[in-house]
Amino acid sequence: MNKILKLAIVLFLVCAVAAGALGFVNNLTAPIIFAQAQAKTAAAFASVMQADGYEEIEFDKESFPTVDTIHRATNGAGHVVTSTFSGAQGNITLACGVDPDFKCTGISVIEHSETSGLGANAASTAEVGVKFRAQFVGQDESIALSNAGGSIDALTGATITSRSIAGAVAESIRVVKSLG
Amino acid sequence: MLSSIIEISLGAILINNFIFSQFLGCCPFLGCSNKVDTAFGMGLAVVFVMGLASAICWVINEYILVALGLEFLQTLAFILVIAALVQFVEMFLKKSVPSLYSALGIYLPLITTNCAVLGVVLLNVQNKYNFIESLVYGITGGIGFLLAIVLFASVRERVEFADYPECFHGFAICLVSAALVALAFMGFSGMAIPV
Amino acid sequence: MNPKKQFTEGLITNNPVLVQQIGMCATMAITTTLFNGVGMGLSVLIILTCCNVVISLIRKIIPGEIRLAIFVVVIATFVTIVDLLLQAYVPALSEALGVFIPLIVVNCIIIGRAEAFCQKMPVGACFLDGIFQGFGYTVVLIIMCVVRELLGAGRFGGGLIDVSNGFRFTLDGTGAGIQIFPESYGASILSLPFGGFLTLGVLIAVMQYALKKSELKKAALAEQAKAEEEKEEDE
Repeated sequence: MNKILKLAIVLFLVCAVAAGALGFVNNLTAPIIFAQAQAKTAAAFASVMQADGYEEIEFDKESFPTVDTIHRATNGAGHVVTSTFSGAQGNITLACGVDPDFKCTGISVIEHSETSGLGANAASTAEVGVKFRAQFVGQDESIALSNAGGSIDALTGATITSRSIAGAVAESIRVVKSLG
Repeated sequence: MLSSIIEISLGAILINNFIFSQFLGCCPFLGCSNKVDTAFGMGLAVVFVMGLASAICWVINEYILVALGLEFLQTLAFILVIAALVQFVEMFLKKSVPSLYSALGIYLPLITTNCAVLGVVLLNVQNKYNFIESLVYGITGGIGFLLAIVLFASVRERVEFADYPECFHGFAICLVSAALVALAFMGFSGMAIPV
Repeated sequence: MNPKKQFTEGLITNNPVLVQQIGMCATMAITTTLFNGVGMGLSVLIILTCCNVVISLIRKIIPGEIRLAIFVVVIATFVTIVDLLLQAYVPALSEALGVFIPLIVVNCIIIGRAEAFCQKMPVGACFLDGIFQGFGYTVVLIIMCVVRELLGAGRFGGGLIDVSNGFRFTLDGTGAGIQIFPESYGASILSLPFGGFLTLGVLIAVMQYALKKSELKKAALAEQAKAEEEKEEDE
């Protein structure tokens, strides 16, 4: 019994030291990580809509399970909807601007884990990504890929990523419509 | 709710198979796929532990780590839970289900360092799954692993008789055959999920 | 202690991926751009070195029965520290590598070295072992990345190099890389999981071929020397 007690104490001490060290590092890095996440969301918002301020508003989460938040621009430019949905590899988090006429004002990928060089191009700052995202501006909720009768050209080799983003944009417009 | 469960299951088993699309659990996948029987044993053990680990780690994460604001201890806590869990499962099976223990016994300790187990727990947190979704993801992710390892073991039994350059002996030829199986699994990635 | 021998072991004769054949998940999963490969390799190098040193330092005071649990705690601590630092200072890398950073905990390279090497060896040797084994791992990742990126997308140095405005290194992962041939000519399947398995398989085969050849060469040389010796004796 004594032996087990000794082992437990040693293990506990090691864990305590480890947790202490992690707490210390976490204290140093947490504010930086938080600021970075905020800056990233702010940059995504700025790239889809021109507004000086936002207020977060409530919506019907039951009917729109993929939608995370809706922010209304205080200058009346419209709403920015963030949603999380599954792409080809994992979840994609997208910010989508919707103007008062229920048209998309732009999209920005906040987070994703798509295949590098294919689906990941949706978030890329290179020409291919910019071109892909520009197609969404002015679309309404009937948005679809060109192979499904719409006007969005899918990214090369990433039909699934493109289709799920188009679907999320339609959903974002629908949730804003539902606000009335 | 039901549609999200179907979506998660299909995704974990076929579309985003743990081995062929996410590369989680490759070491036991290559190490234990010599024979279909051993592969099946390993796969079953993984399904069991992944399901249990998902459930337990979800509770620990939600009610201890998140509640106390200790999210930075996630990795540490999860790996300790998994290691302890594997030990307990081993002791429990040894005492109460000796037949299952003798079938799974030798694979159990290996599971601690199977990155599919820690991977599924971390992905549950990352994808913000609730308890049921986590449990389903854990079990179906394990089933995906089981499917992959059994299929691949049958492929390997055939590869043994194949005539290939000598320098491909061992893991090299396994990886090349795994690549071909992964190619087959890519067919599922076009599958639309009915919502 | 023999640094030169340890170096050759880490890089070639006992390379963690190509010869010991461990730690393969991440090797196949994240090697799609040079940025990912270098980032992952350096992270593992740092974690491995730190863990080796700490485990070697405490090797005499930890009870044998729970040594694995303690190794795991030490490894998980360093992995989380690196994870937090990457999230704070190199967010692009932590995003690209995603779940594979925390998964370094179960990377067999680290626990394998702890169990096989650091339990018995002094701190200095363990420090060098961490650096050299980590370096061997990084080199393999870089080779994988270069091959897959070049053949898959016709690019070199994606994320790490930017040439649009003169040659410079981008440490935030935004560089587009050097386009060597048009992307549409590449076999984009090499960027997919298929390419990961195939490239590593071929790489291991090449390594086995090279090791075998050098062995044969050595054996032939030894035989020749022996024959000459015998000849001299005859004379």
